[in-house]
Amino acid sequence: MNRVALGRSIPWTLVVFLIAVWVPALGSRYDTFLGTQIAIDALFVVSLNLLLGTTGLVSFGHAAYFGIGAYACGILMKTYGVPFVIAFPAAALIAAFFALIFGFFCVRLSALYFAMLTLAFAQIVWAICFKWNAVTGGDEGLPNIPYPKLDWISSLPGLGDLSIADEFYLLTILMVALSFAILRQVIRSPFGRMLTTIRDNPERAAFIGLNVRAYELAAFVVAGGFAGLAGALYGIFNRGAFADYVFWSKSAEVLIMTILGGINYFWGPPVGAFALVWLNQEITSYTQYWPFVLGVVLLVLLFGFPGGIVGGLVAGYERLRRMLRPRHA
Amino acid sequence: MRVRHVLALACAACVLAVLPAFAEGTIKIGFPIPLSGPAALYGVPILKGAQMAVADLNAKGGVLGRKLELLPRDSKASADEAVRLARELIIKDNADFLAGTLTSAEAPAVSTIAKENKIVFIAPSAKTASLTAPANLHPYIFRFASNTTTEGQAGAIIMSKWKDIKKVATIAPDYAYGRDAIASFVAEIKKLRPDIAIVDQQWPKLGEPDFTAFITAQMSKQPDAVFCDLYGGDFVTFVKQAMPLGYFTAIHNRLADGGEVGAVDVTEPLGANYPFGIWSDAYDPVIWPGHEPAAHKAWVQEMKDSLKSPYGSGWAIQGYSVILALAAGIEKAGSTNSDKVSKALVGLTFDTPAGKRSFNANHDADTGEFWGEMVKDPKYPFAIIKDPTYYNPEPVAVTD
Repeated sequence: MNRVALGRSIPWTLVVFLIAVWVPALGSRYDTFLGTQIAIDALFVVSLNLLLGTTGLVSFGHAAYFGIGAYACGILMKTYGVPFVIAFPAAALIAAFFALIFGFFCVRLSALYFAMLTLAFAQIVWAICFKWNAVTGGDEGLPNIPYPKLDWISSLPGLGDLSIADEFYLLTILMVALSFAILRQVIRSPFGRMLTTIRDNPERAAFIGLNVRAYELAAFVVAGGFAGLAGALYGIFNRGAFADYVFWSKSAEVLIMTILGGINYFWGPPVGAFALVWLNQEITSYTQYWPFVLGVVLLVLLFGFPGGIVGGLVAGYERLRRMLRPRHA
Repeated sequence: MRVRHVLALACAACVLAVLPAFAEGTIKIGFPIPLSGPAALYGVPILKGAQMAVADLNAKGGVLGRKLELLPRDSKASADEAVRLARELIIKDNADFLAGTLTSAEAPAVSTIAKENKIVFIAPSAKTASLTAPANLHPYIFRFASNTTTEGQAGAIIMSKWKDIKKVATIAPDYAYGRDAIASFVAEIKKLRPDIAIVDQQWPKLGEPDFTAFITAQMSKQPDAVFCDLYGGDFVTFVKQAMPLGYFTAIHNRLADGGEVGAVDVTEPLGANYPFGIWSDAYDPVIWPGHEPAAHKAWVQEMKDSLKSPYGSGWAIQGYSVILALAAGIEKAGSTNSDKVSKALVGLTFDTPAGKRSFNANHDADTGEFWGEMVKDPKYPFAIIKDPTYYNPEPVAVTD
């Protein structure tokens, strides 16, 4: 018990951030790109896990808010020349606004029907992005989203001359770390505890006077907003927003990352994101039969670690500790 | 014994895996293209074509005395994956050039990365006019594909010769590609034949499983002829549903389709159910009755062997030609520096199995398509293009 408490007292977000800061200095240019992608995906999966792990809501359409964030930020920055400092939070607000509208209907349904309705709304968003040529660029997407002005990062003392990709990486990990800190507080707050209560026993939560739908809707909006932030970063990182970002396969991918890493731990989904991005890039550069290899690896991981990678590691650590502990204790 | 065999195999595998690393001094061409999912239908033959070109050039001693090396990657037909691969190929694998991508989302996305890294990128199949539109044009993007403007204009030129038609309808997939091609067709037909009226326009969605409503709605307007831009699997579904409803009989098979449904890739699966008598096109007719260039004949045989398919594909030529174009550019520049190769490619004329092509000042190749009436031929169990004729309505005249 003490050990677990000790693990919890470590400010993991700060630790990981301080390690990640060194990637541009120590790694290759490609590592920086990979790091940026993993950081963005990590934020995306943590926002989903607020629904999945904390509140017990299975969303099959979380990519909708990611995509809305990407398009909102991209359109503001490219079409209207709005600076990043305004476009970035605006993307989160717009994504959260759509999450509020869609969520209003979704939380009225339970379990499977909730999942199906989230998927339906996501596909509606996809159809709009795919067809509204004048605004979203239709199937061609919205290429050439500009990088934000980041010269100020290089002018910070001790950083020296950085490439724009390095600067954007640093901005990304800073934004992701701040978001993690906020989400962590949300989950630990009384509000977060109520969400967990709803997950474990919704009838009882209603019985003790909680407005279950309102809490679920609030979680849905917060999750949508942070997914929008992740999408905004992703659009700039990929230099474009595309209808693929909203397609159901993206929602499935982020669900796989979350479950692969472990939904019962805050750091489970980011580990899943790291694993999937890394696996994908390693396998696709060696074989074009990547779906087969990836499928087998995922199958083994999911069977071998039923609680996800982090769940499996924690269980293994506990077993090891019990084995090493003297019997009489 | 067995253990030793396994060890020997393992060693051999290690050596093979390390070999490419020793192949120093090769000119590396990154090639992201869809190799899984429905888009692989086009991606695989394009890649095979590119691999054939690399093998052919290397057999002749390579380019500037250096061998070419193709680095194919599965882009999964997704723009963000194509961007990730393009970055990986440039930064990690040190690709000197990029070629490939299939869809109209992948190509502009990779174009941005090519611009950022100052690496020449040639797209073999993306038709969207916006790829090389002034706002998006930069020194490193080149396109070796027809575009939606050319496609619509070619259809209009063909239809303008059907003297007795007055009422024309259109049907095309409801997204940028279909909308742009139809817009170009309508503009051109109004110019060529002011007497023609557009009586109906249908916009089924991409991948529509049931065209019945669109077919009956169109038939109720009694058009004399139809310009269609459905392609691939959508065209196959459309034909299977339109035939029993008497759609083709009603318009006397006067339909022109600019979506390469004259390619063997589509005619073969439809077989005897093909609406014979319609007009369509292909980048490569493959089966070329009439005046087939000698170079093409030999090339098609090689292509069929390489694809291990008795009738080959109408798309392999795009991959093959892109590599030839790049090689010609490197040869002329005398360097693999992308800035020099980019300058060399503008205005460059080079040979392809289907004739000479060149890049114009707008970085577009003057690639048109081979059009013709789709007819029965006793030698083949499917429709072929009768007397394939090269249509390239854009100003640069090319014949061979």
